[in-house]
Amino acid sequence: MKRFSVSPPVAALILAIVLFLLSGFLPNSYGSNVDIAIAQATNIVRLAVFLGVIAAGQTLVIISGSEGIDLSAGSVVTLTAILTYVYVSGENDRVLIALLISLGVGAVIGMLNGIGVTFLKVSPFVMTLGMSGVVTGAIIVVNHGTVSGRIAPIMTRLIARPVSPSIPIPGAVVIWLIFGVLMWLLLERTAFGKNLFAIGVNRVTAKLSGVNVTWTNLATYSLAGALAGFGGFLLVGNTGVVHIQLGQPFLFPSIAAVAVGGTLLSGGKGSYWGTMAGAIVLTLITSLLTTMQMPDSVRRMVLGGTLLILISIYGRQRSLRL
Amino acid sequence: MPESLSARNIVKRYGGVVALSDGNLDVHTGEVVALIGANGSGKSTMSKVINGVVVLDGGQLLLDNNPVHWSSPQAAKNLGIATVFQELSLIPQMTVAENIWLTREPMTAIGTVNRKVLHEKTEELLSLFRGTYKVDLHPDDPIVSLPSDEKQIIEILKAISFDPWLIILDEATASLDSRQVQRLFELVEDWKEAGKAIIFVSHRMEEIFRIADRYSVLRNGKTVGAGDMKDVSEKELVKLMIEKESVFEYIRKDSKNGENEEKPVCLEVKELQTVTLKGINFSVREGELVGIGGLRGQGQRELLHSLFGDVPYSGTVKLFGNGYKFKHPREAMQIGLALVPGDRGREGLLSIRSILDNLQLPSWPRYGFPLRIKKAKRDAEQVGESLNLKMAGLEEPVSSLSGGNAQKVVLGKWLVRKPKLFLLDDPTKGVDVGTKAEIYSLLTQLCDEGKTILFYSSDDEELIGLCDRVLVLHDGIIRTELSGPSLTKENLISASLGVSNGFHPESRTGGTL
Repeated sequence: MKRFSVSPPVAALILAIVLFLLSGFLPNSYGSNVDIAIAQATNIVRLAVFLGVIAAGQTLVIISGSEGIDLSAGSVVTLTAILTYVYVSGENDRVLIALLISLGVGAVIGMLNGIGVTFLKVSPFVMTLGMSGVVTGAIIVVNHGTVSGRIAPIMTRLIARPVSPSIPIPGAVVIWLIFGVLMWLLLERTAFGKNLFAIGVNRVTAKLSGVNVTWTNLATYSLAGALAGFGGFLLVGNTGVVHIQLGQPFLFPSIAAVAVGGTLLSGGKGSYWGTMAGAIVLTLITSLLTTMQMPDSVRRMVLGGTLLILISIYGRQRSLRL
Repeated sequence: MPESLSARNIVKRYGGVVALSDGNLDVHTGEVVALIGANGSGKSTMSKVINGVVVLDGGQLLLDNNPVHWSSPQAAKNLGIATVFQELSLIPQMTVAENIWLTREPMTAIGTVNRKVLHEKTEELLSLFRGTYKVDLHPDDPIVSLPSDEKQIIEILKAISFDPWLIILDEATASLDSRQVQRLFELVEDWKEAGKAIIFVSHRMEEIFRIADRYSVLRNGKTVGAGDMKDVSEKELVKLMIEKESVFEYIRKDSKNGENEEKPVCLEVKELQTVTLKGINFSVREGELVGIGGLRGQGQRELLHSLFGDVPYSGTVKLFGNGYKFKHPREAMQIGLALVPGDRGREGLLSIRSILDNLQLPSWPRYGFPLRIKKAKRDAEQVGESLNLKMAGLEEPVSSLSGGNAQKVVLGKWLVRKPKLFLLDDPTKGVDVGTKAEIYSLLTQLCDEGKTILFYSSDDEELIGLCDRVLVLHDGIIRTELSGPSLTKENLISASLGVSNGFHPESRTGGTL
């Protein structure tokens, strides 16, 4: 009794394409001009990159189960963006070290989250929410609300500009694709990935099958922090400016992107392809509504509604198949 | 107040499993009736029928010879039938007083809980066991802070607080110490005098003879005997509990005992102690299939889990000639141990993951980076075939499998690794007959290949049919070791119940030590 079913990442991607094609009929949109349509599509994907990368760590902690979530992702993004901005100060040869600093600082914050969750048994929600507050506070203390710095030209070149004049694909999108392949490798082709799914489903089974649950959990939170740190690095490379609220607006969309991508919020099942598709859908809807000059209130309602509808459809599919 | 309750020809099915096919019991005020039977004979179901927790599928309950029907457990409670549950029914976060009087709290005129009266009434109940508590108990102590014996006492007090005429004590003494049991029995005597009726469900023969006036024996869901305790001996009761004709079809190879003598010792356990185990000593030779018997919850699970590094213990464990003290199951796996846990769903499977992921979970690190998925699939495929695993494909979720096939996956994930010592915790529980037979032949085949198996089963026939030797656990120690001609169902059940006569005294401390 095989019934027709589409996997959530594919469903989200189809939704994105349909929405985009429909948007052609909207006023202020690309109409029948194919070149503008492609340019717009490219731009939306480019904008989705930053959400997608920030949501990568979120995907990992959500897969790890036991109410796993990372509410500190937004503030880590802000922090590493500011660190990169200040440290690089326009020098190309400082970029690599800035990247390492971003990853490292993110990893340390993530590890603290992991220690709290694993050893102190604080719930991930509370632990990462608290960490978010601490990090935000630390940013304010260190910078006294103002920062001086500048990003390096090479960052703009690699992240914000097209790969080459003849290939109009932004560098960020290429980075994202490579990043996606690496995430897939991590989740599907390493023992760590397999163990991560295992602890997300059932930690007793995992332990009795030889999985080091404690270490896997700790590594997951650390990695999630590092990925958020990478997100901050990328983001500042695109925006070129920083402010204290840079990362925070990405926090809830990052969770939404994971859910739209079909990753179970209870853990143990999901994919990064799904999260990528989810990031594109959310970015697309936001930019469509902006194009339609909808007020912020309507944007929020539509986003929330989409999320509810998609997730309830996923839930239904699962219950039918079992 | 009613004076008697009778159960007549009770039938109770759970799905396709018949728990009771012809259960009968009579109990009158002023007497204690012992409800006796082996594992899975239907004792618990019988108590649940009487107290209305389950709805019966056939037969009749008579209250003072009038038919009654319980629409809910509450209905039975309202007519004065109280149960002391074996699985604790207390809410850990609430206090002693709140738990005892839950839903029946004494009220003040303005509708709030009258804490003063609540306190007084609770103190009154607590005084019944005064002197047996480790630390003095107060009505405001939260349940979560109490040791298990005191929780059991609160459970008893909660049942008494209903002022019932019929009290069902379902394994109520299992977690009590001897002083507390003594006090409980004094109270039972008082209750008898006060005209209450008591149904006493217990595995402990000694207690049954101390307290019961009459007995009723269940075997495979049927009541097979009842009468006065004074007319019966321990041996006769045990005999009643055992089936006459065996339905077990597996034939053991008898020649094996001798040939293992020269094989090296592969597992040696000395003075192993945990919370429930009180000093376990035994040794197992390579290629042996050694059974662990006894009633449920005598420490069998803990023994297997501590050998596998999942439960901390004190004592020494030697494996393959070297001493080890594992801190994590991974370390045990690495030197060739495998554990098939007793609760398949909660401890053995990743329900929503694929069959492949389940089979390869312990073995992924062997497949390098990036994981050689094709090789992993081939290996899993092979194990699946050798186990005759019926599946639509390796990518299907393991939850799509039947119980028997799911159990094959739990076994199979170890076979991939080719371990040397298997620790099996009731591997045929909830498995269909066909798969059981397959598991039996797999186990003997593994032994023939020189693997060693330590095998707990709640099914006594399995132990007798399969094992070279059986270590019988009772109250956290190896009470008896049975092998060869002494490995009979009668001896096994007697030993499980803690009856000590009928054995050679030298076999009472286990193993070759």
